[in-house]
Amino acid sequence: MKLIAKKDVPAVVDQWSKTYAVLAPSLQRNGECIFDTFDRATFTLEYRKPSMPPKSTYLPQSEAIFQVKDGGFIHSARHEKTMLFGIRACDHTGIRQARSFYSRDMDDVYHRCHAEDTLIVVHACSWPQNETCFCTTVHSGPYAKEGFDIQLFDMGTDFLVEAGSDTGRELIADAPFRAFDVDDASERLNRVKHMALNSIPIVSEVTDAMEILRAGGANETVWEHLGRKCITCGGCVYVCPTCTCFTVYDRVTSEGNGERVRAWDTCLYAGFTREASGHNPRASQALRLKRRHEHKLLYYNETDNQDALCGCVGCGRCSDYCPVHIGTIEVVKAIADHIY
Amino acid sequence: MCEHAQNIYELRPVTITRTLPQIADHRLFQLKLDGGCTWEEFGHQPGQFIEVSVFGKGEAPISISSPPTRCDSLEICVRRAGKLTNALFEMGKGSRLHIRGPYGRGFPVDRLKGHKLLLVAGGLGLAPLRSLLLYVLDRRKDFDDLILMYGTNNPDNVLFKYELLSFFDRDDIKYLYSVDRDDDGIWKQYVGVVTGLFDRTTLSPSDTYAVLCGPPVMYRFVVERLLKLGFAKDHIYMSLERMMKCGVGKCGHCAIGNKYCCTDGPVFSLDEIEHIKEAI
Repeated sequence: MKLIAKKDVPAVVDQWSKTYAVLAPSLQRNGECIFDTFDRATFTLEYRKPSMPPKSTYLPQSEAIFQVKDGGFIHSARHEKTMLFGIRACDHTGIRQARSFYSRDMDDVYHRCHAEDTLIVVHACSWPQNETCFCTTVHSGPYAKEGFDIQLFDMGTDFLVEAGSDTGRELIADAPFRAFDVDDASERLNRVKHMALNSIPIVSEVTDAMEILRAGGANETVWEHLGRKCITCGGCVYVCPTCTCFTVYDRVTSEGNGERVRAWDTCLYAGFTREASGHNPRASQALRLKRRHEHKLLYYNETDNQDALCGCVGCGRCSDYCPVHIGTIEVVKAIADHIY
Repeated sequence: MCEHAQNIYELRPVTITRTLPQIADHRLFQLKLDGGCTWEEFGHQPGQFIEVSVFGKGEAPISISSPPTRCDSLEICVRRAGKLTNALFEMGKGSRLHIRGPYGRGFPVDRLKGHKLLLVAGGLGLAPLRSLLLYVLDRRKDFDDLILMYGTNNPDNVLFKYELLSFFDRDDIKYLYSVDRDDDGIWKQYVGVVTGLFDRTTLSPSDTYAVLCGPPVMYRFVVERLLKLGFAKDHIYMSLERMMKCGVGKCGHCAIGNKYCCTDGPVFSLDEIEHIKEAI
């Protein structure tokens, strides 16, 4: 384990940005923080949960599967050494779940290339980012357990630095990283972890709702009511770290030239399941909303969820941004408390 | 360029060697693999599908209609329904297109061996089921009694008509055809829904596997009938249709509960899916 003074971090990241395309917290003029290409002028360590998860590093909003030139196909995957600096543990779990899903049975080569190219620096949370955080309920945070390269713990004026991979160990080998070789190092780290764990409230309705879904499902009136409220904007899906569905379409630039592209899509759209015959097995918004939440809270649990509780990592973004207040927190409460 | 040789989205060029009109808006395409590769190497199983691609028009999953026992060409029976299939209908002998596959879990041929079979098809459902039907006929000794029930909405919509008519000359297959309506009074077989055919034959549910392929409404009634007759749930197989995009279990479109139609299916036994409300 190592230590680094917070004031030394910008210079270190600056150095790393010569080798990696670093995506780091960047303070915008409107006061919001987003993850953007590292820029020392806007770089900040004082940031809250950014509106978008880092999933586009692995699954860009749209990405060419192949190029078509004069009728011939050129399969390619974009390669760029990338570093995600300062992502949160919930988002890290989301990345790991998506990676596991995309590599099972048949590996998705584009997702794999992005994963192999990306280094992850997790910034463990010491307290909830805002009132919608529930990572401790679904075991996705507040700190990462594995799969990262470097993890930072806030110790006041310093970060305690943990290496999770050989590359991570190399990156923190030299100054300004300094040894943290006090006798009670691991005890101190555990204290920080415990304080963080205890600071984030448990949303017991998540496990209650999961149990109800396992036992046969929620009352259909819940879905009908939520389905009537949903305005089908798809926002919850686009801000979700674990939503990875995509559609495929052809972008033709001229006869015999262009590219086949995959782009984010969502099960909340009616066209998502509509067949060429016109038949749609999920014919109502109620059924589509039910699908999305049952996937997160019920079906995903049977696949590899990377030691988290379910396919929801508790980042709370859907509750932050849904214009009609039907994020996961509101949905599990409706299920568990038999509202509607 | 990515070094990984195994790209699940890689396309293979094929050439149309023949197109055979079926009924209105349905056509059978015979395909040949380009580059000297054979369909034996392709290694498809009855009930599997391929992704068919025409750049600019997109990609669509289409079930394979021919069995692996007939590898001189691969046959797909296509209904003109969307952008891609419309483009296919503009193509003829010698046209080139691209495919990926074979994909999905087909009919459980090994499990069916040595047993009596009841194949029930409705409409275009005969297209995937034909791969199994012809497989069984080509390996007839491997299977016990074979019954085919096929229902269409009217006499004009019978697919593979001449092939089906030729079964009248065989005594190793029992065939029962139905049409929902016969306005012109030309149909010599049963008129009514396909479940009506169950009254016209005797089945031995304990040692028969039922394999269904047809529109969703057919499944509901036929499954009900089979269960009433005493068929076990793991003796009823059906090929489900969903809107598939990637064909390899990533894009999420064809999810049915905890299953993906493209990789876990499209063929499922009833006991695998009966607990999933949206399945049938």
